[in-house]
Amino acid sequence: MSAQGTDKPPETIKRQTSKTPLYAAVAIVVVVIIVVAAGFYAGWFNSKSTTSGTTGCAPPSGGSIKGAGSTLVYPLMYQWETVYGGGTAVNYESVGSSAGITDITQKTVDFGASDAPLNSAQRTALPATAVTIPESAGGVVPIYNVPGVPTLNFNGTVLAEIYLGTVSNWNSTAIQTLNPGVTLPNAAISVVYRSDGSGTTFIWTSYLSLESASWESKVGKGTAVVWPVGSGQPKNAGVAGYVQKTPDTIGYVDLNYALNGGIQFGKVLNPAGHYILASVNNTASALKDANPTLPSGTGDWYNVSVLNAPGVGDYPITSLTYVFVYQDLSGAYGSSYTKTQAETLVDYLYWMVTTGQSYSAQLYYVPLPASIVAADETTIGSITFGGSAVPNSCGSSV
Amino acid sequence: MTVLAGLCALVALIPLASVVFQAATLGGPVLSISFLTQNPPLPCTPQPGIPCATGGVGSAIQGTLILVGLATAISVPVGLGAAIYAVEFRSRFLGLAISFTADVLTGVPSIIAGVFIYAYFVIYDPSIVFSTITGALALSVIMIPIVTRTCEEALRTVPHAVREAALALGISRWRTTLQIVVTTALPAIVTGILLSVMRASGEAAPLLFTAFGSRLGFQGFNNPINALPLLIYNFAESPYHNWIDLAWGAALILIILILITSVISRLVVQRMVHRMQGG
Amino acid sequence: MDGPTPSAPISPMPRHSPQWGDRIFAVLVGLGGVAVLVIVFAVMGVLFYQSADSFHAFGWQFLVNTRWDVRHNVYGVVPFVSSTLLTSAIALLIGFPIAIGSAIFLTTQAPRWMRGPIGSVIELLAAIPSVVYGFWGLYVLGPYMRTTVEPALYRYLGWTGAFSGTPTGTDVLTAGVILAIMVIPTIAAISRETLIAVPISQKEAALSLGATNWETTRVAIVPYARSGIFGATILGLGRALGETMAVTMTIGNHDAVPTSFFSQGQTIASLIANELTNSNGPLQYSAIIEAGLILLFISLGVNIAARLMLWKVLRVERGSTE
Repeated sequence: MSAQGTDKPPETIKRQTSKTPLYAAVAIVVVVIIVVAAGFYAGWFNSKSTTSGTTGCAPPSGGSIKGAGSTLVYPLMYQWETVYGGGTAVNYESVGSSAGITDITQKTVDFGASDAPLNSAQRTALPATAVTIPESAGGVVPIYNVPGVPTLNFNGTVLAEIYLGTVSNWNSTAIQTLNPGVTLPNAAISVVYRSDGSGTTFIWTSYLSLESASWESKVGKGTAVVWPVGSGQPKNAGVAGYVQKTPDTIGYVDLNYALNGGIQFGKVLNPAGHYILASVNNTASALKDANPTLPSGTGDWYNVSVLNAPGVGDYPITSLTYVFVYQDLSGAYGSSYTKTQAETLVDYLYWMVTTGQSYSAQLYYVPLPASIVAADETTIGSITFGGSAVPNSCGSSV
Repeated sequence: MTVLAGLCALVALIPLASVVFQAATLGGPVLSISFLTQNPPLPCTPQPGIPCATGGVGSAIQGTLILVGLATAISVPVGLGAAIYAVEFRSRFLGLAISFTADVLTGVPSIIAGVFIYAYFVIYDPSIVFSTITGALALSVIMIPIVTRTCEEALRTVPHAVREAALALGISRWRTTLQIVVTTALPAIVTGILLSVMRASGEAAPLLFTAFGSRLGFQGFNNPINALPLLIYNFAESPYHNWIDLAWGAALILIILILITSVISRLVVQRMVHRMQGG
Repeated sequence: MDGPTPSAPISPMPRHSPQWGDRIFAVLVGLGGVAVLVIVFAVMGVLFYQSADSFHAFGWQFLVNTRWDVRHNVYGVVPFVSSTLLTSAIALLIGFPIAIGSAIFLTTQAPRWMRGPIGSVIELLAAIPSVVYGFWGLYVLGPYMRTTVEPALYRYLGWTGAFSGTPTGTDVLTAGVILAIMVIPTIAAISRETLIAVPISQKEAALSLGATNWETTRVAIVPYARSGIFGATILGLGRALGETMAVTMTIGNHDAVPTSFFSQGQTIASLIANELTNSNGPLQYSAIIEAGLILLFISLGVNIAARLMLWKVLRVERGSTE
């Protein structure tokens, strides 16, 4: 026991003589909390649209939906989120089509978006029946960064050879023959692909598989493949950004990203024998001319393809992009899923395929033709909650 | 030889200067009130005649504050409690185990923290995998060991004569610990907390699979949320000039926040050192 | 004087009559302690559980398979372990000399007024978030490597075969350089502490024998601090192994064993970042988690080894200088 009685030994206890830094730290923290709280109430961060930009649709308020997946369709989803009214929060995260499929399979989101339809393994892996709803369509273009050359011509065979690594230099004969009169540099081609599981990859590799037997046997098609050469960047944005910054690169992205990034992209030879530079018009005509037979909502969409459409001016690398939703919402998600949430989701789906389509063209996406919209409305109408169809405020024609 | 060694120090500083310079020159012009309050805009690159929406990183700043605040609220009681146990009950095996474990935990890569929370909630409750809660939990996994270790060291520096004196006065053990020991070690404890806060605000890896990111501000604890490091990661790789500029601005903000925190914690440590040397 | 002695155990507390306040306090605090223990086991448990599928499918083959084949659903971890080790090796090769040089400079050669500020600034390097480094790497370092450094390396060292392939600036070399920048503060800071902890008697003995300032450093101080410096380096290695964001943004994300410094690669950490939620199926997901488990073990192992080394050195040194 201490021999110093009741006096505390002064040398061993000394209160801090100045607490200024401590107070400063606390003060800063308190100020920040006040500012954030004020921001909350002032609605600084509230960018939910207060206008109901829709006619006839008045979704239940207070709902919130999570979606994830395709980066191809991200700018459109972003626009839709902003414009869709009713005090509903829609969160779409652009994480790649594979991730979208994983997320919906794991039920961490309300809808998954993907440019690749579900394959049989993925459909089997789903814990409950899901419906496939094409909500938009777009084109995939070959982008490149070769200073000083005009728009280059490509065809499927040469693109496959570039991605296989058999054509490895920009001034090789294969490319030069397609582009007579253009001075191509003597530089090695840096191939860029998607490092994450991607529906855009699915579209691209499906096209290469159609055009090159060698590609089909060596690599095949899928949202992720074993790439023979090149480096990977995540998401459409990543590939576009990288190609934009790095010379002598070639990559593939959605038309929207190429146009928005101001990145040069090439023409692709279509089955009718013309070199087409992708645009909203020729991707729309491709969709129309391909006129795919659509299965029912719950059917197998794996073989639905709009590639190599027959028309004279059609862009050959066009594709639908899909949204996956569970058909029986209460059955799939269980008791934590509320009726409001179901109604919000269904309402948003209707809105996407009807009013939402009017925003497509300005963002370089293809507005859905009436036939596909009608099929979608039927499919959306088949979504149930608690045993009965989910009512929606958009008053569909079904 | 001195020159060579000095050169090494200089070389070590060059990247820091470059990073700060880059962030300041590209991010500086973007800073404004609207930058701090508005939400991220639609991605676009300015074309002639078509201006781009500027927007801001408001939702990311708000998200970082909420996530780090929540993680701190979880980590400080747990970490401080663990440190107190490890120091005050050190003779027991559990005390040593906690000390060692906290040390070990600081070596867990931050992405594993995110994977852990993600994998757990995917099984336990998929609907909240992408939410504020899981984001805060993932950050806590990183913060707790740092808080524990620094608090432990702080508490150890309090001489045991202080405790003995207090107990000799009849003050109960819990009061001794909280009102005397902790208060004496408070500057170092606060520094440790500030350090862990600094670390957590810059982490993106644990948030990739948990907070998810969002364009909007806070929507509830069960819903996704944005954060500055996530925003930087997502926007940095894109080809859109307005997004890239915002990312540099966000990087600058993070750097400034870290500088401020560093300076504060250094001041606190210096005061503490002076106190101990003078005492 | 009753100064702080971190190594001395705190004397056992005199027992009071157990009061409910003390009891509750002990329980609450104990809960905090238990939480820390639980976290470690929970992390390992969850990762073990989720990697079970992959382990059953591949067994020990997983550790030696060089293919990561999403098409045929066959996975092996070698490409990622090799990239992880390669980038960390580059980081240490570049970072260690610079860090030690800085530490030696700051503790022995630099004028006193410089030591505090420059030391603090070097530690600031550690505070910059990984994602900011990755951002900088993408826009500044990468292009610089691509246009200046890598062509030069190819010109002078290309004959070794280790610098083959087109320099793109996005490869294991750039990732390694950024990791070097990130580990320098760790190695430097702890080395500094170790060097400072060298007893002054060593320095005095050398000086009294007529050694110059530099010779003193070289002969008397640095060798004494050897194990501490080694420990610091291992700690830096531990940090490099787990870095995610900066690496993901600069390494090229190619799932194959890197064959040259200019190859694109993929570390375990960047694999997880890129593919965890993107997996082509439950088997790939399980394989990625198993890779994460391997990373966890490697990181923890390295970290524990470093701390054991440093704990002995720093605690003994602190005790003997007082």
